[in-house]
Amino acid sequence: MALIAVAFLLLTVVMPMHWLTDFAVFCILVLSFDLLYGYMGRLSFGHVLYYGVGMYAASLALVHLAPNPFLAIGAGIFASAVLSSALGFIVVRTEGATFALVNLALNQIGFWLAMSGLQAYTRGEDGLSSSVRAIGFLDFYKVPVAFGFMLVCLLLVFGLLRMLTRSPFGILIRSIKENEERVKFLGYDTLRYKWLTFVIAATLAGFAGTLHALVKGFVAPGDMGPLENARVIFAVLIGGAGNLYGALVGGVVFETMINLLATNIPRWEMFLGIMLLVLVFWFRRGITGYIADLARKFSRSRGKPAERLP
Amino acid sequence: MISAQGLTKRFGSQTAVDQVNLKFVEGQASGIIGPNGSGKSTLFNMLTGHLPPSVGKIEFGGLDITALPPHERVGMGMARTFQLVSVFDSMTVWENLVLSTGRFADRGSGHRQFFFGPARSKTILENCLGALERVGLQDKAGARTSELSYGDKRMLEIGIALSLKPKLLLLDEPLAGLSDHEIGDVVDLLHEMKQNCTLVIIEHKISKIMDLIERLSVLNDGVLICEGDPEAVLNDPGVRECYWGKQVSNAKG
Repeated sequence: MALIAVAFLLLTVVMPMHWLTDFAVFCILVLSFDLLYGYMGRLSFGHVLYYGVGMYAASLALVHLAPNPFLAIGAGIFASAVLSSALGFIVVRTEGATFALVNLALNQIGFWLAMSGLQAYTRGEDGLSSSVRAIGFLDFYKVPVAFGFMLVCLLLVFGLLRMLTRSPFGILIRSIKENEERVKFLGYDTLRYKWLTFVIAATLAGFAGTLHALVKGFVAPGDMGPLENARVIFAVLIGGAGNLYGALVGGVVFETMINLLATNIPRWEMFLGIMLLVLVFWFRRGITGYIADLARKFSRSRGKPAERLP
Repeated sequence: MISAQGLTKRFGSQTAVDQVNLKFVEGQASGIIGPNGSGKSTLFNMLTGHLPPSVGKIEFGGLDITALPPHERVGMGMARTFQLVSVFDSMTVWENLVLSTGRFADRGSGHRQFFFGPARSKTILENCLGALERVGLQDKAGARTSELSYGDKRMLEIGIALSLKPKLLLLDEPLAGLSDHEIGDVVDLLHEMKQNCTLVIIEHKISKIMDLIERLSVLNDGVLICEGDPEAVLNDPGVRECYWGKQVSNAKG
Protein backbone atom coordinates (compact mmCIF):
# COMPACT_ATOMS: atom_id res chain seq x y z
CA MET A 1 0.00 0.00 0.00
CA ALA A 2 2.71 2.42 1.04
CA LEU A 3 4.58 1.29 -2.05
CA ILE A 4 1.71 2.36 -4.28
CA ALA A 5 1.48 5.77 -2.61
CA VAL A 6 5.23 6.29 -2.96
CA ALA A 7 5.17 5.17 -6.60
CA PHE A 8 2.40 7.64 -7.43
CA LEU A 9 4.16 10.45 -5.58
CA LEU A 10 7.42 9.71 -7.39
CA LEU A 11 5.60 9.76 -10.72
CA THR A 12 4.58 13.37 -10.04
CA VAL A 13 8.23 14.25 -10.64
CA VAL A 14 8.09 13.07 -14.26
CA MET A 15 4.44 13.71 -15.15
CA PRO A 16 1.93 16.48 -14.65
CA MET A 17 -0.03 15.91 -11.47
CA HIS A 18 -3.44 16.18 -13.14
CA TRP A 19 -2.48 13.22 -15.34
CA LEU A 20 -1.88 11.15 -12.24
CA THR A 21 -5.21 12.21 -10.78
CA ASP A 22 -6.87 10.76 -13.89
CA PHE A 23 -4.65 7.67 -13.70
CA ALA A 24 -5.73 6.99 -10.13
CA VAL A 25 -9.40 7.12 -11.16
CA PHE A 26 -8.73 4.90 -14.16
CA CYS A 27 -6.80 2.45 -11.96
CA ILE A 28 -9.87 2.03 -9.72
CA LEU A 29 -11.90 1.13 -12.80
CA VAL A 30 -9.22 -1.32 -13.96
CA LEU A 31 -9.00 -2.89 -10.48
CA SER A 32 -12.76 -3.43 -10.43
CA PHE A 33 -12.58 -5.07 -13.85
CA ASP A 34 -9.71 -7.27 -12.73
CA LEU A 35 -11.86 -8.73 -9.94
CA LEU A 36 -14.45 -9.78 -12.49
CA TYR A 37 -12.13 -10.86 -15.30
CA GLY A 38 -8.75 -11.63 -13.77
CA TYR A 39 -9.98 -13.35 -10.65
CA MET A 40 -13.36 -14.81 -11.59
CA GLY A 41 -12.63 -15.31 -15.29
CA ARG A 42 -15.68 -13.49 -16.59
CA LEU A 43 -14.81 -11.18 -19.48
CA SER A 44 -17.29 -8.34 -19.81
CA PHE A 45 -17.47 -5.98 -22.80
CA GLY A 46 -19.81 -3.71 -20.88
CA HIS A 47 -18.11 -2.89 -17.61
CA VAL A 48 -18.01 0.88 -18.22
CA LEU A 49 -21.82 0.94 -18.16
CA TYR A 50 -21.56 1.05 -14.37
CA TYR A 51 -18.77 3.62 -14.56
CA GLY A 52 -21.19 5.74 -16.58
CA VAL A 53 -24.07 5.17 -14.18
CA GLY A 54 -21.92 6.28 -11.24
CA MET A 55 -20.69 9.24 -13.24
CA TYR A 56 -24.16 10.48 -14.24
CA ALA A 57 -25.71 9.78 -10.83
CA ALA A 58 -22.95 11.82 -9.19
CA SER A 59 -23.29 14.69 -11.66
CA LEU A 60 -27.07 14.78 -11.35
CA ALA A 61 -26.80 14.80 -7.56
CA LEU A 62 -24.35 17.71 -7.79
CA VAL A 63 -26.60 19.66 -10.14
CA HIS A 64 -30.01 18.97 -8.66
CA LEU A 65 -29.48 18.17 -4.98
CA ALA A 66 -26.40 19.87 -3.56
CA PRO A 67 -22.82 20.52 -4.70
CA ASN A 68 -21.50 18.23 -1.98
CA PRO A 69 -18.82 15.73 -3.10
CA PHE A 70 -19.75 13.07 -0.55
CA LEU A 71 -23.40 13.22 -1.54
CA ALA A 72 -22.31 12.74 -5.16
CA ILE A 73 -20.15 9.75 -4.24
CA GLY A 74 -23.01 8.24 -2.26
CA ALA A 75 -25.43 8.74 -5.14
CA GLY A 76 -23.05 7.21 -7.68
CA ILE A 77 -22.29 4.17 -5.55
CA PHE A 78 -25.98 3.66 -4.76
CA ALA A 79 -27.07 3.92 -8.39
CA SER A 80 -24.44 1.54 -9.74
CA ALA A 81 -25.03 -0.94 -6.90
CA VAL A 82 -28.79 -0.98 -7.46
CA LEU A 83 -28.54 -1.31 -11.23
CA SER A 84 -25.87 -4.02 -11.13
CA SER A 85 -27.81 -5.96 -8.47
CA ALA A 86 -30.82 -6.08 -10.77
CA LEU A 87 -28.98 -6.72 -14.06
CA GLY A 88 -26.61 -9.11 -12.31
CA PHE A 89 -29.40 -11.64 -11.92
CA ILE A 90 -29.59 -11.87 -15.70
CA VAL A 91 -25.96 -11.61 -16.73
CA VAL A 92 -24.38 -14.08 -14.29
CA ARG A 93 -26.58 -16.82 -15.74
CA THR A 94 -24.65 -16.53 -18.98
CA GLU A 95 -21.13 -17.75 -19.73
CA GLY A 96 -18.22 -17.04 -22.04
CA ALA A 97 -19.00 -15.10 -25.20
CA THR A 98 -22.64 -14.69 -24.20
CA PHE A 99 -21.62 -13.04 -20.94
CA ALA A 100 -19.32 -10.64 -22.79
CA LEU A 101 -21.95 -9.75 -25.38
CA VAL A 102 -24.93 -9.45 -23.02
CA ASN A 103 -22.89 -6.92 -21.07
CA LEU A 104 -21.98 -5.15 -24.29
CA ALA A 105 -25.65 -5.00 -25.24
CA LEU A 106 -26.58 -3.51 -21.87
CA ASN A 107 -23.72 -1.02 -22.21
CA GLN A 108 -25.02 -0.05 -25.64
CA ILE A 109 -28.51 0.53 -24.20
CA GLY A 110 -27.07 2.65 -21.40
CA PHE A 111 -25.05 4.65 -23.90
CA TRP A 112 -28.16 5.28 -25.99
CA LEU A 113 -30.12 6.37 -22.91
CA ALA A 114 -27.38 8.87 -22.02
CA MET A 115 -27.17 10.02 -25.62
CA SER A 116 -30.85 10.47 -26.44
CA GLY A 117 -33.30 8.39 -24.37
CA LEU A 118 -32.77 10.39 -21.20
CA GLN A 119 -31.55 13.52 -22.92
CA ALA A 120 -33.79 15.67 -20.72
CA TYR A 121 -31.59 14.73 -17.76
CA THR A 122 -28.19 13.99 -19.32
CA ARG A 123 -28.26 16.78 -21.96
CA GLY A 124 -27.22 14.13 -24.48
CA GLU A 125 -24.13 14.78 -26.54
CA ASP A 126 -23.66 18.26 -25.06
CA GLY A 127 -22.71 16.69 -21.75
CA LEU A 128 -23.52 17.69 -18.25
CA SER A 129 -21.49 20.21 -16.24
CA SER A 130 -21.47 20.28 -12.49
CA SER A 131 -19.61 22.11 -9.79
CA VAL A 132 -18.48 20.99 -6.36
CA ARG A 133 -18.34 23.19 -3.32
CA ALA A 134 -15.18 22.96 -1.25
CA ILE A 135 -15.50 21.41 2.18
CA GLY A 136 -12.77 22.76 4.41
CA PHE A 137 -9.43 22.03 2.73
CA LEU A 138 -11.11 19.57 0.36
CA ASP A 139 -11.29 21.69 -2.76
CA PHE A 140 -11.41 19.63 -5.96
CA TYR A 141 -10.34 22.61 -8.07
CA LYS A 142 -6.91 22.53 -6.43
CA VAL A 143 -4.88 19.98 -8.33
CA PRO A 144 -2.82 18.62 -5.38
CA VAL A 145 -5.98 18.21 -3.30
CA ALA A 146 -7.80 16.36 -6.06
CA PHE A 147 -4.72 14.20 -6.63
CA GLY A 148 -4.41 13.40 -2.93
CA PHE A 149 -8.09 12.55 -2.65
CA MET A 150 -8.05 10.21 -5.65
CA LEU A 151 -4.90 8.54 -4.40
CA VAL A 152 -6.53 7.86 -1.03
CA CYS A 153 -9.60 6.46 -2.80
CA LEU A 154 -7.36 4.24 -4.93
CA LEU A 155 -5.59 2.94 -1.84
CA LEU A 156 -8.93 2.22 -0.13
CA VAL A 157 -10.21 0.26 -3.12
CA PHE A 158 -6.91 -1.57 -3.45
CA GLY A 159 -6.98 -2.46 0.26
CA LEU A 160 -10.56 -3.73 0.04
CA LEU A 161 -9.81 -5.85 -3.02
CA ARG A 162 -6.62 -7.19 -1.51
CA MET A 163 -8.58 -8.35 1.52
CA LEU A 164 -11.28 -9.91 -0.64
CA THR A 165 -8.90 -11.69 -2.98
CA ARG A 166 -6.69 -13.09 -0.23
CA SER A 167 -9.64 -14.46 1.73
CA PRO A 168 -11.38 -17.81 1.23
CA PHE A 169 -13.80 -15.84 -0.95
CA GLY A 170 -10.85 -15.03 -3.21
CA ILE A 171 -10.07 -18.72 -3.48
CA LEU A 172 -13.73 -19.35 -4.27
CA ILE A 173 -13.85 -16.95 -7.21
CA ARG A 174 -10.52 -18.26 -8.55
CA SER A 175 -12.01 -21.74 -8.28
CA ILE A 176 -15.06 -20.59 -10.24
CA LYS A 177 -12.71 -19.29 -12.92
CA GLU A 178 -10.99 -22.65 -13.22
CA ASN A 179 -13.98 -25.00 -12.95
CA GLU A 180 -17.35 -23.71 -11.88
CA GLU A 181 -19.11 -27.08 -12.02
CA ARG A 182 -16.58 -28.53 -9.61
CA VAL A 183 -17.16 -25.74 -7.10
CA LYS A 184 -20.82 -26.70 -6.83
CA PHE A 185 -19.71 -30.11 -5.57
CA LEU A 186 -17.84 -28.40 -2.75
CA GLY A 187 -21.22 -27.20 -1.51
CA TYR A 188 -21.24 -23.63 -2.83
CA ASP A 189 -24.04 -21.94 -4.72
CA THR A 190 -21.84 -20.52 -7.46
CA LEU A 191 -24.59 -18.38 -8.95
CA ARG A 192 -24.88 -16.44 -5.71
CA TYR A 193 -21.16 -15.73 -5.53
CA LYS A 194 -20.91 -14.84 -9.20
CA TRP A 195 -23.71 -12.34 -8.68
CA LEU A 196 -22.04 -10.90 -5.61
CA THR A 197 -18.69 -10.54 -7.37
CA PHE A 198 -20.39 -8.90 -10.34
CA VAL A 199 -22.12 -6.40 -8.04
CA ILE A 200 -18.89 -5.59 -6.16
CA ALA A 201 -16.98 -5.06 -9.41
CA ALA A 202 -19.76 -2.93 -10.93
CA THR A 203 -20.17 -0.83 -7.79
CA LEU A 204 -16.44 -0.11 -7.64
CA ALA A 205 -16.60 0.88 -11.31
CA GLY A 206 -19.47 3.19 -10.36
CA PHE A 207 -17.29 4.64 -7.61
CA ALA A 208 -14.58 5.37 -10.17
CA GLY A 209 -17.26 7.06 -12.28
CA THR A 210 -18.26 9.36 -9.43
CA LEU A 211 -14.63 10.37 -8.96
CA HIS A 212 -14.38 11.10 -12.66
CA ALA A 213 -17.42 13.39 -12.39
CA LEU A 214 -15.97 15.15 -9.34
CA VAL A 215 -12.55 15.78 -10.78
CA LYS A 216 -13.66 16.74 -14.32
CA GLY A 217 -16.82 18.65 -13.45
CA PHE A 218 -18.15 17.54 -16.82
CA VAL A 219 -19.49 14.22 -18.08
CA ALA A 220 -20.58 13.13 -21.55
CA PRO A 221 -21.91 9.90 -23.07
CA GLY A 222 -18.55 9.23 -24.70
CA ASP A 223 -17.06 8.56 -21.27
CA MET A 224 -19.24 5.46 -20.99
CA GLY A 225 -19.29 4.45 -24.64
CA PRO A 226 -18.94 0.74 -25.41
CA LEU A 227 -15.51 1.38 -26.97
CA GLU A 228 -14.20 2.58 -23.61
CA ASN A 229 -14.25 -1.06 -22.47
CA ALA A 230 -11.32 -1.72 -24.78
CA ARG A 231 -9.19 0.65 -22.71
CA VAL A 232 -9.97 -1.22 -19.52
CA ILE A 233 -9.39 -4.65 -21.05
CA PHE A 234 -6.15 -3.40 -22.59
CA ALA A 235 -4.90 -2.05 -19.30
CA VAL A 236 -5.60 -5.33 -17.47
CA LEU A 237 -3.88 -7.35 -20.19
CA ILE A 238 -0.82 -5.09 -20.19
CA GLY A 239 -0.42 -5.28 -16.43
CA GLY A 240 -1.36 -8.93 -16.05
CA ALA A 241 -4.83 -10.23 -15.25
CA GLY A 242 -5.62 -11.77 -11.89
CA ASN A 243 -3.11 -9.63 -10.03
CA LEU A 244 -4.05 -6.39 -8.30
CA TYR A 245 -0.60 -4.89 -8.80
CA GLY A 246 -0.93 -5.85 -12.44
CA ALA A 247 -4.09 -3.78 -12.71
CA LEU A 248 -2.25 -0.77 -11.28
CA VAL A 249 0.80 -1.18 -13.49
CA GLY A 250 -1.42 -1.75 -16.51
CA GLY A 251 -3.58 1.27 -15.74
CA VAL A 252 -0.61 3.60 -15.36
CA VAL A 253 1.39 2.25 -18.31
CA PHE A 254 -1.61 2.26 -20.62
CA GLU A 255 -2.69 5.80 -19.75
CA THR A 256 0.86 7.09 -20.02
CA MET A 257 1.19 5.54 -23.45
CA ILE A 258 -2.10 6.98 -24.62
CA ASN A 259 -1.19 10.45 -23.39
CA LEU A 260 2.24 10.38 -24.99
CA LEU A 261 1.14 8.76 -28.24
CA ALA A 262 -1.81 11.04 -28.70
CA THR A 263 0.28 14.19 -28.28
CA ASN A 264 3.08 13.06 -30.59
CA ILE A 265 1.57 10.86 -33.27
CA PRO A 266 -1.61 11.38 -35.27
CA ARG A 267 -3.68 8.19 -35.59
CA TRP A 268 -1.90 6.54 -32.76
CA GLU A 269 -4.47 3.74 -32.40
CA MET A 270 -2.47 1.48 -34.70
CA PHE A 271 0.28 1.25 -32.10
CA LEU A 272 -2.21 -0.06 -29.59
CA GLY A 273 -3.15 -2.80 -32.03
CA ILE A 274 0.48 -3.77 -32.49
CA MET A 275 0.97 -3.73 -28.74
CA LEU A 276 -2.01 -6.05 -28.26
CA LEU A 277 -0.55 -8.51 -30.76
CA VAL A 278 2.78 -8.49 -28.93
CA LEU A 279 0.98 -9.11 -25.63
CA VAL A 280 -1.13 -11.95 -26.97
CA PHE A 281 1.78 -13.75 -28.63
CA TRP A 282 4.63 -13.19 -26.21
CA PHE A 283 3.43 -11.78 -22.91
CA ARG A 284 0.21 -13.60 -22.16
CA ARG A 285 0.48 -12.84 -18.45
CA GLY A 286 1.26 -9.16 -18.85
CA ILE A 287 4.05 -7.19 -17.21
CA THR A 288 3.57 -8.50 -13.68
CA GLY A 289 3.09 -12.07 -14.93
CA TYR A 290 6.34 -11.80 -16.88
CA ILE A 291 8.19 -10.54 -13.82
CA ALA A 292 6.68 -13.30 -11.64
CA ASP A 293 7.78 -15.94 -14.16
CA LEU A 294 11.29 -14.52 -14.21
CA ALA A 295 11.39 -14.52 -10.42
CA ARG A 296 10.22 -18.12 -10.28
CA LYS A 297 12.84 -19.22 -12.80
CA PHE A 298 15.46 -17.42 -10.78
CA SER A 299 14.42 -18.93 -7.45
CA ARG A 300 14.13 -22.40 -8.95
CA SER A 301 17.63 -22.24 -10.37
CA ARG A 302 18.74 -21.50 -6.82
CA GLY A 303 16.76 -24.47 -5.53
CA LYS A 304 14.13 -22.67 -3.50
CA PRO A 305 10.75 -24.37 -2.98
CA ALA A 306 7.80 -22.88 -4.81
CA GLU A 307 5.99 -21.88 -1.66
CA ARG A 308 6.74 -22.22 2.02
CA LEU A 309 4.11 -22.71 4.63
CA PRO A 310 4.49 -21.41 8.16
CA MET B 1 -29.59 -43.83 2.75
CA ILE B 2 -30.06 -43.02 -0.93
CA SER B 3 -32.48 -44.59 -3.33
CA ALA B 4 -33.57 -44.15 -6.92
CA GLN B 5 -36.94 -45.07 -8.34
CA GLY B 6 -37.54 -45.48 -12.04
CA LEU B 7 -34.52 -43.30 -12.78
CA THR B 8 -34.19 -42.64 -16.51
CA LYS B 9 -31.94 -40.35 -18.55
CA ARG B 10 -32.42 -39.82 -22.25
CA PHE B 11 -30.08 -37.87 -24.51
CA GLY B 12 -32.10 -37.30 -27.65
CA SER B 13 -33.14 -40.74 -28.87
CA GLN B 14 -30.47 -42.46 -26.75
CA THR B 15 -31.49 -43.82 -23.37
CA ALA B 16 -28.37 -43.78 -21.20
CA VAL B 17 -30.06 -44.97 -18.01
CA ASP B 18 -33.34 -46.85 -18.22
CA GLN B 19 -35.80 -47.28 -15.34
CA VAL B 20 -33.20 -47.99 -12.68
CA ASN B 21 -34.35 -48.77 -9.15
CA LEU B 22 -31.54 -48.77 -6.62
CA LYS B 23 -31.13 -48.55 -2.91
CA PHE B 24 -27.88 -48.04 -1.01
CA VAL B 25 -28.08 -48.93 2.66
CA GLU B 26 -26.51 -46.76 5.34
CA GLY B 27 -23.12 -47.98 6.54
CA GLN B 28 -22.62 -50.35 3.63
CA ALA B 29 -20.14 -50.12 0.82
CA SER B 30 -21.54 -50.89 -2.61
CA GLY B 31 -19.93 -51.38 -5.97
CA ILE B 32 -21.30 -50.64 -9.43
CA ILE B 33 -19.83 -52.32 -12.49
CA GLY B 34 -20.77 -52.49 -16.13
CA PRO B 35 -19.16 -52.27 -19.56
CA ASN B 36 -18.09 -48.87 -20.90
CA GLY B 37 -21.05 -46.73 -21.86
CA SER B 38 -23.47 -48.69 -19.71
CA GLY B 39 -24.63 -45.57 -17.88
CA LYS B 40 -22.68 -45.76 -14.62
CA SER B 41 -21.38 -42.22 -14.67
CA THR B 42 -24.72 -40.88 -15.90
CA LEU B 43 -26.34 -42.58 -12.93
CA PHE B 44 -23.81 -40.89 -10.61
CA ASN B 45 -24.38 -37.56 -12.29
CA MET B 46 -28.09 -37.83 -11.59
CA LEU B 47 -27.62 -38.95 -8.00
CA THR B 48 -25.32 -36.00 -7.29
CA GLY B 49 -27.37 -33.40 -9.15
CA HIS B 50 -24.97 -32.85 -12.03
CA LEU B 51 -27.66 -33.91 -14.53
CA PRO B 52 -31.44 -33.74 -14.08
CA PRO B 53 -33.16 -37.11 -14.66
CA SER B 54 -35.63 -37.36 -17.53
CA VAL B 55 -37.94 -39.45 -15.39
CA GLY B 56 -37.75 -40.83 -11.89
CA LYS B 57 -37.23 -39.90 -8.31
CA ILE B 58 -34.21 -39.76 -5.99
CA GLU B 59 -34.50 -39.89 -2.22
CA PHE B 60 -31.71 -39.12 0.21
CA GLY B 61 -32.15 -39.67 3.93
CA GLY B 62 -35.91 -39.95 3.44
CA LEU B 63 -36.23 -36.65 1.52
CA ASP B 64 -37.03 -36.22 -2.15
CA ILE B 65 -33.95 -34.55 -3.62
CA THR B 66 -34.69 -35.05 -7.33
CA ALA B 67 -34.82 -31.32 -8.02
CA LEU B 68 -32.14 -30.14 -5.57
CA PRO B 69 -29.01 -28.49 -7.00
CA PRO B 70 -25.63 -30.12 -6.29
CA HIS B 71 -24.50 -27.68 -3.61
CA GLU B 72 -27.57 -28.40 -1.50
CA ARG B 73 -26.96 -32.13 -1.77
CA VAL B 74 -23.42 -31.53 -0.55
CA GLY B 75 -24.90 -29.62 2.37
CA MET B 76 -27.02 -32.67 3.20
CA GLY B 77 -23.92 -34.85 3.41
CA MET B 78 -23.24 -36.10 -0.10
CA ALA B 79 -19.82 -35.90 -1.71
CA ARG B 80 -18.33 -37.31 -4.89
CA THR B 81 -15.16 -37.77 -6.88
CA PHE B 82 -14.91 -37.71 -10.66
CA GLN B 83 -13.91 -40.30 -13.23
CA LEU B 84 -11.17 -38.00 -14.47
CA VAL B 85 -9.56 -36.47 -11.40
CA SER B 86 -10.96 -33.01 -10.83
CA VAL B 87 -8.87 -30.70 -8.65
CA PHE B 88 -7.83 -27.06 -9.06
CA ASP B 89 -4.55 -27.12 -10.95
CA SER B 90 -3.96 -23.38 -10.84
CA MET B 91 -3.69 -23.37 -7.06
CA THR B 92 -1.42 -24.81 -4.45
CA VAL B 93 -2.36 -28.10 -2.83
CA TRP B 94 -3.50 -26.59 0.46
CA GLU B 95 -5.61 -23.96 -1.30
CA ASN B 96 -7.61 -26.80 -2.83
CA LEU B 97 -8.85 -27.65 0.65
CA VAL B 98 -9.78 -24.19 1.90
CA LEU B 99 -13.33 -24.25 0.57
CA SER B 100 -14.19 -27.79 1.63
CA THR B 101 -12.65 -27.70 5.12
CA GLY B 102 -14.02 -24.26 5.92
CA ARG B 103 -17.74 -24.96 5.61
CA PHE B 104 -18.09 -21.28 4.78
CA ALA B 105 -21.35 -21.96 3.03
CA ASP B 106 -22.96 -21.96 6.47
CA ARG B 107 -24.49 -18.62 7.22
CA GLY B 108 -23.56 -16.71 10.34
CA SER B 109 -20.33 -15.89 12.10
CA GLY B 110 -18.16 -17.49 9.42
CA HIS B 111 -19.09 -14.78 6.96
CA ARG B 112 -16.59 -12.17 8.02
CA GLN B 113 -13.80 -14.68 8.02
CA PHE B 114 -14.95 -15.89 4.60
CA PHE B 115 -14.87 -12.51 2.89
CA PHE B 116 -12.26 -10.54 4.78
CA GLY B 117 -10.12 -12.96 6.77
CA PRO B 118 -6.90 -14.15 5.13
CA ALA B 119 -7.11 -17.66 3.68
CA ARG B 120 -3.63 -18.19 5.09
CA SER B 121 -4.85 -17.87 8.67
CA LYS B 122 -3.63 -20.33 11.28
CA THR B 123 -6.95 -22.14 11.74
CA ILE B 124 -7.59 -22.56 8.02
CA LEU B 125 -4.04 -23.80 7.40
CA GLU B 126 -4.34 -26.26 10.27
CA ASN B 127 -7.62 -27.59 8.89
CA CYS B 128 -6.12 -27.97 5.43
CA LEU B 129 -3.00 -29.68 6.72
CA GLY B 130 -5.16 -32.01 8.83
CA ALA B 131 -7.17 -32.99 5.78
CA LEU B 132 -3.98 -33.51 3.78
CA GLU B 133 -2.52 -35.69 6.49
CA ARG B 134 -5.43 -38.12 6.14
CA VAL B 135 -4.47 -38.74 2.54
CA GLY B 136 -0.71 -38.58 3.12
CA LEU B 137 -0.06 -35.34 1.24
CA GLN B 138 0.95 -33.08 4.13
CA ASP B 139 4.51 -32.77 2.80
CA LYS B 140 3.24 -31.44 -0.52
CA ALA B 141 0.88 -28.83 0.96
CA GLY B 142 2.77 -25.89 -0.56
CA ALA B 143 3.36 -27.44 -3.98
CA ARG B 144 1.52 -26.38 -7.12
CA THR B 145 -1.27 -28.84 -7.79
CA SER B 146 -0.37 -29.00 -11.48
CA GLU B 147 2.96 -30.55 -10.48
CA LEU B 148 1.44 -33.49 -8.58
CA SER B 149 1.42 -37.02 -10.03
CA TYR B 150 -1.94 -38.43 -11.14
CA GLY B 151 -2.04 -40.67 -8.07
CA ASP B 152 -1.39 -37.75 -5.73
CA LYS B 153 -4.10 -35.76 -7.46
CA ARG B 154 -6.51 -38.65 -6.90
CA MET B 155 -5.55 -38.68 -3.23
CA LEU B 156 -6.06 -34.92 -3.07
CA GLU B 157 -9.48 -35.27 -4.67
CA ILE B 158 -10.48 -37.90 -2.11
CA GLY B 159 -9.10 -35.63 0.61
CA ILE B 160 -11.32 -32.80 -0.63
CA ALA B 161 -14.36 -35.09 -0.62
CA LEU B 162 -13.54 -36.36 2.89
CA SER B 163 -13.08 -32.87 4.27
CA LEU B 164 -16.73 -32.22 3.40
CA LYS B 165 -17.49 -34.76 6.16
CA PRO B 166 -19.92 -36.70 3.96
CA LYS B 167 -22.41 -39.29 5.13
CA LEU B 168 -22.46 -40.66 1.61
CA LEU B 169 -19.48 -40.69 -0.72
CA LEU B 170 -19.77 -41.61 -4.38
CA LEU B 171 -16.50 -42.50 -6.08
CA ASP B 172 -16.34 -42.75 -9.87
CA GLU B 173 -13.52 -45.15 -10.78
CA PRO B 174 -11.17 -44.10 -7.99
CA LEU B 175 -8.52 -46.65 -9.05
CA ALA B 176 -8.40 -45.85 -12.76
CA GLY B 177 -5.01 -44.75 -14.00
CA LEU B 178 -3.17 -45.51 -10.77
CA SER B 179 -0.10 -47.73 -10.26
CA ASP B 180 -0.44 -50.91 -8.18
CA HIS B 181 1.25 -49.19 -5.29
CA GLU B 182 -1.12 -46.23 -5.44
CA ILE B 183 -4.10 -48.58 -5.75
CA GLY B 184 -3.06 -50.16 -2.45
CA ASP B 185 -3.01 -46.74 -0.78
CA VAL B 186 -6.43 -45.78 -2.07
CA VAL B 187 -7.98 -49.13 -1.12
CA ASP B 188 -6.55 -48.82 2.42
CA LEU B 189 -8.07 -45.38 2.63
CA LEU B 190 -11.43 -46.66 1.40
CA HIS B 191 -11.42 -49.30 4.16
CA GLU B 192 -10.76 -46.60 6.72
CA MET B 193 -13.47 -44.32 5.30
CA LYS B 194 -16.02 -47.10 5.44
CA GLN B 195 -16.03 -46.86 9.23
CA ASN B 196 -18.09 -43.68 9.24
CA CYS B 197 -19.41 -43.20 5.75
CA THR B 198 -21.62 -44.98 3.24
CA LEU B 199 -19.65 -45.68 0.07
CA VAL B 200 -20.77 -46.22 -3.49
CA ILE B 201 -17.96 -47.08 -5.87
CA ILE B 202 -17.93 -47.40 -9.65
CA GLU B 203 -14.93 -49.54 -10.49
CA HIS B 204 -13.73 -51.79 -13.27
CA LYS B 205 -10.97 -53.30 -11.14
CA ILE B 206 -13.54 -55.17 -9.12
CA SER B 207 -11.07 -57.67 -7.64
CA LYS B 208 -9.35 -54.84 -5.77
CA ILE B 209 -12.49 -53.90 -3.87
CA MET B 210 -14.14 -57.31 -3.32
CA ASP B 211 -13.03 -57.26 0.34
CA LEU B 212 -14.56 -53.85 0.77
CA ILE B 213 -18.03 -54.06 -0.68
CA GLU B 214 -21.09 -55.79 0.69
CA ARG B 215 -23.18 -55.32 -2.36
CA LEU B 216 -22.66 -55.16 -6.11
CA SER B 217 -24.88 -53.83 -8.88
CA VAL B 218 -24.36 -54.40 -12.59
CA LEU B 219 -25.50 -52.02 -15.30
CA ASN B 220 -25.64 -52.94 -18.96
CA ASP B 221 -27.00 -50.64 -21.67
CA GLY B 222 -28.50 -48.44 -18.99
CA VAL B 223 -30.43 -51.29 -17.40
CA LEU B 224 -29.76 -52.71 -13.96
CA ILE B 225 -29.31 -56.39 -14.80
CA CYS B 226 -28.29 -57.83 -11.48
CA GLU B 227 -27.59 -56.89 -7.89
CA GLY B 228 -26.86 -58.48 -4.55
CA ASP B 229 -24.00 -60.25 -2.83
CA PRO B 230 -20.83 -59.50 -4.83
CA GLU B 231 -19.69 -63.15 -5.20
CA ALA B 232 -23.12 -64.26 -6.30
CA VAL B 233 -23.45 -61.38 -8.75
CA LEU B 234 -20.11 -62.14 -10.40
CA ASN B 235 -21.21 -65.77 -10.90
CA ASP B 236 -24.58 -64.81 -12.32
CA PRO B 237 -24.95 -66.18 -15.86
CA GLY B 238 -26.45 -62.93 -17.16
CA VAL B 239 -23.53 -60.90 -15.83
CA ARG B 240 -21.00 -63.38 -17.20
CA GLU B 241 -22.63 -63.18 -20.58
CA CYS B 242 -22.62 -59.38 -20.61
CA TYR B 243 -18.89 -59.39 -19.93
CA TRP B 244 -17.50 -62.59 -21.45
CA GLY B 245 -20.18 -63.06 -24.08
CA LYS B 246 -19.43 -59.71 -25.57
CA GLN B 247 -15.72 -60.33 -25.53
CA VAL B 248 -16.20 -63.57 -27.45
CA SER B 249 -18.28 -61.88 -30.10
CA ASN B 250 -15.78 -59.02 -30.26
CA ALA B 251 -12.97 -61.50 -30.79
CA LYS B 252 -14.87 -63.06 -33.65
CA GLY B 253 -15.68 -59.72 -35.20
